Amino acid sequence: MGFVGNLGDIFRILKHTFRQVFRRPFTYFYPFEDREYPETTRGRHIHIRETCTACAACVRACPVAAIRIDKEDKKFEKDCALYFDYTRCLFCGDCVRACRYEALFHTPIVDLSEGDRDDLIYGPDKITTLDRDPLEWRGRRFR
Amino acid sequence: MSPDILDESSVIWFGPQHVSAHGWAAKLTIVGDYIVECDPNAGYFHRSAEKCLEFRNFRQGSMILERICMMEAFLAEYPYIAAVEKIVDLEVPERAKIMRTIMMEFNRIHSLQFWWGQFAGELGLFVMLLWPWVDREYSLDAFEELTGSRHTVSYATPGGVKYDFTPKFLAKMETALKLVKDRMPVFNDMLAGSPTFRLRTEGVGHYTAKQALKWGLSGPNIKACGIPMDLRKDDPDPNLAYDLIDWEVPVINNEEHPGESDAFDRLLQRFKEIETSLDIIEKLLPILPEGPIIDPKARSKTNRLPEGEGYGRVEGTRGVTSVWLKTMAKAQTPWRAKIRGPCFASYYSLKHIVPGARFADFPAIFGSLDPYPGWWDR
Amino acid sequence: MQFDVFTWLGGLWDWVIGVLLWLWGFLMWPFLWEGPFDFFAWFGGLWDWVLGIFLWLWGIVNWLIFWVVDFVNWIWFLVSLPENFMFLFRAIVFPGLIFILLALIFTVWYTRKIWARLQDRRGPMHMGKYGGLQLFADAIKLMSKEIIIPDKAKRWMYRILPSLLLVIVMLPFAFIPWDPYWNILGSPTSPFPDLSVSLVLVFAILTAVPVFSLLIGWVSGSKYSLIGGFRAANNQFAAEIPMVISSVGPAMLAGSLSLYSIVMAQTNIWYIVLLPINFITFFVAAIASVGTFPFDAPVADSEIIFGWRTELSGIYFTVVYFAEFAEQMLYSALMVTLFLGGFNGLPFLAGIVNFAIKWLVVFFLFIVVTSSFYRLRQDQVVHLCWKYLLPLSILNVVLVMFALVYIPGLVPLVIGG
Repeated sequence: MGFVGNLGDIFRILKHTFRQVFRRPFTYFYPFEDREYPETTRGRHIHIRETCTACAACVRACPVAAIRIDKEDKKFEKDCALYFDYTRCLFCGDCVRACRYEALFHTPIVDLSEGDRDDLIYGPDKITTLDRDPLEWRGRRFR
Repeated sequence: MSPDILDESSVIWFGPQHVSAHGWAAKLTIVGDYIVECDPNAGYFHRSAEKCLEFRNFRQGSMILERICMMEAFLAEYPYIAAVEKIVDLEVPERAKIMRTIMMEFNRIHSLQFWWGQFAGELGLFVMLLWPWVDREYSLDAFEELTGSRHTVSYATPGGVKYDFTPKFLAKMETALKLVKDRMPVFNDMLAGSPTFRLRTEGVGHYTAKQALKWGLSGPNIKACGIPMDLRKDDPDPNLAYDLIDWEVPVINNEEHPGESDAFDRLLQRFKEIETSLDIIEKLLPILPEGPIIDPKARSKTNRLPEGEGYGRVEGTRGVTSVWLKTMAKAQTPWRAKIRGPCFASYYSLKHIVPGARFADFPAIFGSLDPYPGWWDR
Repeated sequence: MQFDVFTWLGGLWDWVIGVLLWLWGFLMWPFLWEGPFDFFAWFGGLWDWVLGIFLWLWGIVNWLIFWVVDFVNWIWFLVSLPENFMFLFRAIVFPGLIFILLALIFTVWYTRKIWARLQDRRGPMHMGKYGGLQLFADAIKLMSKEIIIPDKAKRWMYRILPSLLLVIVMLPFAFIPWDPYWNILGSPTSPFPDLSVSLVLVFAILTAVPVFSLLIGWVSGSKYSLIGGFRAANNQFAAEIPMVISSVGPAMLAGSLSLYSIVMAQTNIWYIVLLPINFITFFVAAIASVGTFPFDAPVADSEIIFGWRTELSGIYFTVVYFAEFAEQMLYSALMVTLFLGGFNGLPFLAGIVNFAIKWLVVFFLFIVVTSSFYRLRQDQVVHLCWKYLLPLSILNVVLVMFALVYIPGLVPLVIGG
């Protein structure tokens, strides 16, 4: 290499770093703007009780036993209530693949933070709907 | 080493709360600025993955394996699936074979990009820590488009794959791979072309091929010594598509010290690995046939497995990754599972490589060996 | 009323004699008493005696109060002299302490923003406009943290050393000629003219910095800190000689060791044009001396957790963190002074504005260069500084000597008008 070669390398490196200063940063303002999630994103689930048949295939498919089924809690003819424990869930997608009645889906919602551990167990009231309270921080709404 | 040198030695624990020792601890005995003894300790990352596998059925086990090493999630889950496929007869469709291979190489690329950043960070250049990770985001986006998850893809399943390629995914993969290819010269300048990088890595962490074979190193660490030991060529998995195409094993042969490798060689080796992976994907994409992506009988066949043993292995980013399964007759879960990660060998070889090095070279040595604690503690 | 030290001193001896006499009388009066003891006469005199003691005590208090009032008067008198007032204003407010602190705060923000840009990030965004108040938030957070002093640390040294380090790093700013008029020790017409050896003084004060690093590493009682302290000393050992010798070139061209005169000599031509290699050697040696990125072996976080700062917490860490930035600022300012013509520049701008623009540019270069290279090992730091920088800088000195003697038009050009 030699001294001159090293100098050339040094200037090439400085060129790369210098260019980087004037490039647009990659990051985004997370809580206020978010990236686009594809439809396939394995976020939190949504349970459609109209088509559910209480077959418990999702419960058996779950590798971490994150789903609890309550067959007594019927809203329609033969559905059931599902309790998702998001402290355990791996988001592997097997429950959704196991469901043959189009009653369980993933949604592209991935920000599941809660202040309390127990709030992460999504009961039938939370898992059947996507509505949730908007969060406000320093006067700006996000979510 | 005469004992009077050790009288002046002092002991420094490198980990487990150390900044760059994430989940491991090495006891270093130093005399002056030189390390005379290195005692790697394992056990800080133990999550009993092998026991967990005994309680999961054959479709669920791979989700546990993915979480051992998030950086190479698909490569980590695949050996389990290969082992299951060896026990039970499953006909993996041609399309699924090629899709698995493409995803595997894609995963290897982004895992190696992650390693670039990690290694540069350990050598103290935080700009290079972030640049490869930014480029890696595009690969992760492509993964998310296909499977719905960025890291832990859960893509393969016994008998095939779970999700079919979509045009959107192919477009995103092309963007990501093009970016990898375009940015290669930049990273070459910043890593291999940097005089300071050469100063830090050349002649550091030196071992010969013979030693590497003795210690059981695999993957890039042994290929950097000039031994073309690659499972993709030596023992191609019948359910992967490596034998369908013509490709060359990436091997670095340093003319200055043939049959030996230092940290710089291992970097060059990993550059070459990425080039090979790009080459394999490029050659596989045109021959991707139409057809089913999963054996239709896979689901019923994997409910209960016959008695048998299966040993699945794959050439991971860090070396040979393998899972051994033993099943009893009509088993819903494996009777015993054994995970053999690549990094136990590379971690404990620190014991032989490090003595004699300067203390400041220790991050360069372990960084170039790329040990990941999940693989030895499981 | 003026307080005169010599009058006061002259009276002191009388006072001492008086006290001694009083003590003598007090001791001897039983022996000197003549005649039989008259209780009532003694009793009658007692009150006078008590009153006398009260008066004496009152005299002392009175004297003390007057002394303090005089002292304050004296100080106020000194302050209210126009030249003294202007000096204090400069030292404390404008190019002095408060200006430096504000510049420091701005610099930390500027550095973090550019670092973030280099790393494809945005940097601080939320506190204030473009994260401008982030440093205040950080400082409040760091100050409100619990201060954990390790058991093996030398407690008082541990408490004192970080602030002393900041003081030592802040001191040389007094010698920087920011402006033809607005500088602390500088303008030739002011009663506090620039010292003729201010360049030497800056380096002399800065020599103490690695001593503090080493001492902090030593008293922290941790192996990581100790190794970091020795590495800091090693860095300075490597970098200081090339840096000092690099600064000889400008001093020789200007024919002065005073920073003000060096700047005044650059009215015709900036010395970076004549001494580009000297500038580069000074730049690299300055980076090595500060101990930031390519030469950050003293605080290498992947080797020794945070070097000599490992055990510092809370306010001590804040102070040391500021000291590092202050040192970077100081070296940038020195580079502007020695090579980039100081306050010379666009004639329609104030000198300080010219200086600040160049300062920011040099600081930007500083950041770009520091975040482009891998950390050098400590033996490689010495290798680089002594094998490349030192010969280059010495060569430059020799070249400058020959040029001054043998190139005829050079001297009037570089002396300035």
